[in-house]
Amino acid sequence: MARSMWRGAIQFGLVTIPVKLYLATEQGGIGFNLLHASCLNRIQMKVYCPYHDEVIPRSETVRGYEWSKGKYVVVTEEDVDSVPLKTMRAIEIEMFVNATRDNQGAQFVKAAYYLEPEQIGAKAFYLLKSVLAEQGKSAICKIVLKDREQLAALNPFSNTMLLTTLHWPDEVRAIDELNLPEDQIELKASEKKMAEQLVASMTGDFSADEYHDDYRQALMAVIERKVAGEKPEPAARTEPTNITDLMAALEASVAAARHDRKAAKADAKAAEVEAEAPRQRRRKTA
Amino acid sequence: MPGDQLDLSIPTVPGGGRLPARLAPMQPGEGTAPFDDPAYLFEAWWPGTRAQAWIEDGHLVRLRAEGLADALTAFSELSEELPERLMEDGVLLDGWLLALDEGGWLDTDLLRRRLAGDRHAGRPAFVASDLLWSGGSDWQRRPFNARRLRLEAVLLDGDRCVVSHALRGEGTLLAEALARFGLGAISARRLDARYRGGPAGDAWLRVPLVPEPITERPRLALIQRLPLAEASG
Repeated sequence: MARSMWRGAIQFGLVTIPVKLYLATEQGGIGFNLLHASCLNRIQMKVYCPYHDEVIPRSETVRGYEWSKGKYVVVTEEDVDSVPLKTMRAIEIEMFVNATRDNQGAQFVKAAYYLEPEQIGAKAFYLLKSVLAEQGKSAICKIVLKDREQLAALNPFSNTMLLTTLHWPDEVRAIDELNLPEDQIELKASEKKMAEQLVASMTGDFSADEYHDDYRQALMAVIERKVAGEKPEPAARTEPTNITDLMAALEASVAAARHDRKAAKADAKAAEVEAEAPRQRRRKTA
Repeated sequence: MPGDQLDLSIPTVPGGGRLPARLAPMQPGEGTAPFDDPAYLFEAWWPGTRAQAWIEDGHLVRLRAEGLADALTAFSELSEELPERLMEDGVLLDGWLLALDEGGWLDTDLLRRRLAGDRHAGRPAFVASDLLWSGGSDWQRRPFNARRLRLEAVLLDGDRCVVSHALRGEGTLLAEALARFGLGAISARRLDARYRGGPAGDAWLRVPLVPEPITERPRLALIQRLPLAEASG
């Protein structure tokens, strides 16, 4: 496991449990660099000031907050450091909620982190985990990560706990502007039953291992071929066919299955004859 | 295919009445595993939406699909082809609406888009599996065997409409063939059963196939290269 990205403590009431935080996920995409098409050298992004009409070093930039159209107030590192935050080195548990889908705010997740207890806090860590698991609860907490106070949920996960950072309510867009006619839709009992049957027939245990990023794998294959000096071929396109072709394909598949069965039967019979032959010979010599 | 195993005589039907305005579709029972039984006709459980088609006065007048108010608009291409491929009028068909991608393969995402009103999503197809009215007469009380023969006689396969190909008795063989296709279920209908609205019990079963890991979807070109000599079974 990589180095921990944060050290601090879970705090609730008078209990303090020292823990480390590790990123639970990583970006799966394929990274590209931007090159100049004519010389294939990496391009550089320069910071340009239109007022002075010159390229300036990044060290000459400051952070500004636009408080009115075109009017900025400069926010320095000192200003940021002076913000009083209780949650600086702590995962401050605010409350426990039932870990159900009803807690709608907890669905807008940003990132996931694994927790690792420091040796001294291991017992308390697993005590908290077992209580959360047994009671089906989720801890809503605050934590400061990357200079920002974040809302987060703490849940049991495998033999650790998972901290998922959440969007603040004011970061979540309202759904008022969408056309959502739920009230006007009448659902017949038969339609509901059909939908329930469909859901039941597709219900299973989710195993993330069964899902792959097919696009990434295919793109990687194109890149590998290009590295090996091959020119990528455009994806093969089949000529448009129709439903009768599909039926013909089905017939061919049935024929193939029938052929396989006959072959398996013939093999079994041949094996039987072979097994029979020595016995017959024995009978003759007896 | 059942055609060479069953009686092919087509009874003449005197000019009958109008098609019924309402129809309660037969609903299959849940089967457990593929089986062989000469009393049943087996066909693919096509990954589409169940639909009934009313063809009257030379027009596809109504197309009813599960959970869709106006399937006729969503599948407008069928209004031309379906009446053209039918050898008689006053017909009510039961089957599946499907959407095919450019390669001619079944695509449930395209079907979903179609059903949601995207009239350019994929190429629509209707696979007929049963015939409830024919020549303006009610065939629902006749055994499935007779209805099926009638269906095969009156609907000629076209680019968008076909009679679902089926096997008599050989459910496990069809299951093997469909598993290669990546389809999830087969339909098993008793040949002596009449068409009844509502739960069908043993008269019609949807039999799930044991899911096999599908590494890639079958390519039509590859399948067609397989030996075709025994295709008609």
